[in-house]
Amino acid sequence: MNSTQKNLLHIENLVLHFKTTSGVVQAVDGVDFELDSNRAVVILGESGCGKTSLSKALLRLLPRNVEKYSGMVNLHGIDVMTLSDEEYRQSVRWVGMSLVPQAAMNALNPVLKVGDQVAEPAMIHLQLSKAEALILVHKMFQHVGVPLDFVDRYPFELSGGMRQRVALAMALVTSPSLIVLDEPTSALDLLTQANIMNVLKRIKHELGTSFILITHDIATSSELADEVAIMYAGQIVETGDAKDFFPAPLHPYSQMLMASVPRLRSESDPMFITGQPPSLMNPPKGCRFAARCPFRFEKCGEEPPVFQKGNRKVKCWLHE
Amino acid sequence: MSVTAHVPSEKLVIKKPASNSSFLRVMRYVSVRLLTLFITVVIGIYLTIVIANMGGFVDQIIKGEIRDRITQSFLANPSVKQMDPEVRKNLIQEKIALEEKRQGLDTPIAIRNARFLTNALQLNLGRAINITSDSGSKQVRLILLERLPATLLLMGTSQLFLFFSSIFFALSLSRNYGNFWDKFVIALSPTSAVPPWFYGIFLILIFAAAFKVLPFGGMVDSPPPLNTFDYAVSVLQHLILPGLSLVLSSFFISVYNYRTFFLIYSSEDYVDMAKAKGLPSRDIERAYILRPTLPTIITNFSLLIIGLWTGALFTETVFLWPGLGRTLFQAIGQYDIPIIVGSTIIFAYLLALTVFLLDFIYVLVDPRVKIGQ
Repeated sequence: MNSTQKNLLHIENLVLHFKTTSGVVQAVDGVDFELDSNRAVVILGESGCGKTSLSKALLRLLPRNVEKYSGMVNLHGIDVMTLSDEEYRQSVRWVGMSLVPQAAMNALNPVLKVGDQVAEPAMIHLQLSKAEALILVHKMFQHVGVPLDFVDRYPFELSGGMRQRVALAMALVTSPSLIVLDEPTSALDLLTQANIMNVLKRIKHELGTSFILITHDIATSSELADEVAIMYAGQIVETGDAKDFFPAPLHPYSQMLMASVPRLRSESDPMFITGQPPSLMNPPKGCRFAARCPFRFEKCGEEPPVFQKGNRKVKCWLHE
Repeated sequence: MSVTAHVPSEKLVIKKPASNSSFLRVMRYVSVRLLTLFITVVIGIYLTIVIANMGGFVDQIIKGEIRDRITQSFLANPSVKQMDPEVRKNLIQEKIALEEKRQGLDTPIAIRNARFLTNALQLNLGRAINITSDSGSKQVRLILLERLPATLLLMGTSQLFLFFSSIFFALSLSRNYGNFWDKFVIALSPTSAVPPWFYGIFLILIFAAAFKVLPFGGMVDSPPPLNTFDYAVSVLQHLILPGLSLVLSSFFISVYNYRTFFLIYSSEDYVDMAKAKGLPSRDIERAYILRPTLPTIITNFSLLIIGLWTGALFTETVFLWPGLGRTLFQAIGQYDIPIIVGSTIIFAYLLALTVFLLDFIYVLVDPRVKIGQ
């Protein structure tokens, strides 16, 4: 009990497979990780490696073509996977976990005022009246830097950056202990990105919220991250503390991913990884990165276990 | 709150439009819209008039009928038989000319069309040629008004039932995409290719001829029951079969249609977001699926309401239902142009008015729509 209490979130062997006409897509295939309160983990990886599917699996936002959805998601010591849909709605959705979606552009109902949309979760989960909820909305708008008179505006009257902030305020309104941010800034310009990252840092500091930040933007994410998890082909291949990870990543994929970030006046060109992530329809046996890995050797034909290296974990035979 | 520092400038830029200019904008929009709609109605009515008298060909038919009828009646009259053939011929010609003049056939068709058009546009529906109302009037207005309640009863019940039940079932199917009932409805949707009167014939065969539980046709028993309750029961009994055939013939396609429509809108990101927010599914359906699609639903509904006016031509005929559809069917068969045009002009005005009002309703239900921009 003690060990689970220490952890805010504890995921074990989370699996989400989709059914398609050409076969089963193993978008999330056995993900384990843990997260403490008031910590931010950034999940990095290429496009199409299952990052967004992982957030969907966490939040039980399943599309219609789910083939397999299993595993354990322990939030505050309760395995939420065992809850019925209605229990999950009442006790986890926006109370335990909330979401800042990928494209805030489409995440807001075009015909409802943004203030009402932000107030909705507070009215449902905290049983507030509309007036009380709107007071809370004002407070959240202040937190994220949205002018208060925007409460009465419609989404189409807001700029992209403002909409993203509204989405953030919406995620905060019920003060959940965990917020999943799915590429919250990838559609925005650099200044707005920096601005929103600052807002996130401040919120983490002031409200003690934990974040799961899903992104492929390594540079911006390093600002916020306490921990890093690298995702490749539906699996997590490395986790660790951000300050250990960024200077010296362990997994070859992580190393190459970090080497691909351009640096100012660097002697060498940014690296890129040849080839593409394997199809999630028929992932290769053994290490999924083997085909693109410069260090591969005979053992890579077998599925590598997760090796503990100090307080870091890596799924690679090199660190046996 | 350092991050909010840049906001006031953004506020200034947006709050600009003065009320006076927006009033002018709306007025200009309204007048242009009314003018274009009126022109559309004029063109529509003129085409109806031209088509209804087949570009003047109907005149030939009517003239032929008059000649035939008058000649026959003269020949049948024994007192005329004694007459000098020349005098008789002149007399017949005179009589024919008089009858043609009475029906206005002596004026050129173009002038008559123009006169007809101006009268129609002023809702001066004129007199029917052959059809009379049950009270004996030949006024088109009275004939149409007399048939209206029957059509409203039949079409109103069936179409409103169809509309609301389709939306209700479609929502539930879109929630349970791919389950048995979903597949069942999709599989049955081609049955809507069969017109309602065809179902009508089968229903009559089954329930009236074979089982003898429901009447063959008409609107009440004859003689009509004297007390109101029995009368109502009798009307309801007569309503079941035609109503059922109208509903049956478009139920599955209509549910299929709305189900696909809701399915598309329920895969929007904001619906997923509402689900993630933990809204109860009733709220999601109301505020996140129905609310954004309200303009389309309102459009369908208002077109349905004015569609009641035309009635159901063949179904009313099959069931001998004394409504507008059957009257129109008779009018077409008897070249009763004033009835055809009268019915069309009212439909055209209703349609134009609906289209006009819808523009304003859109503004009320969808904040993204602005008038005259």
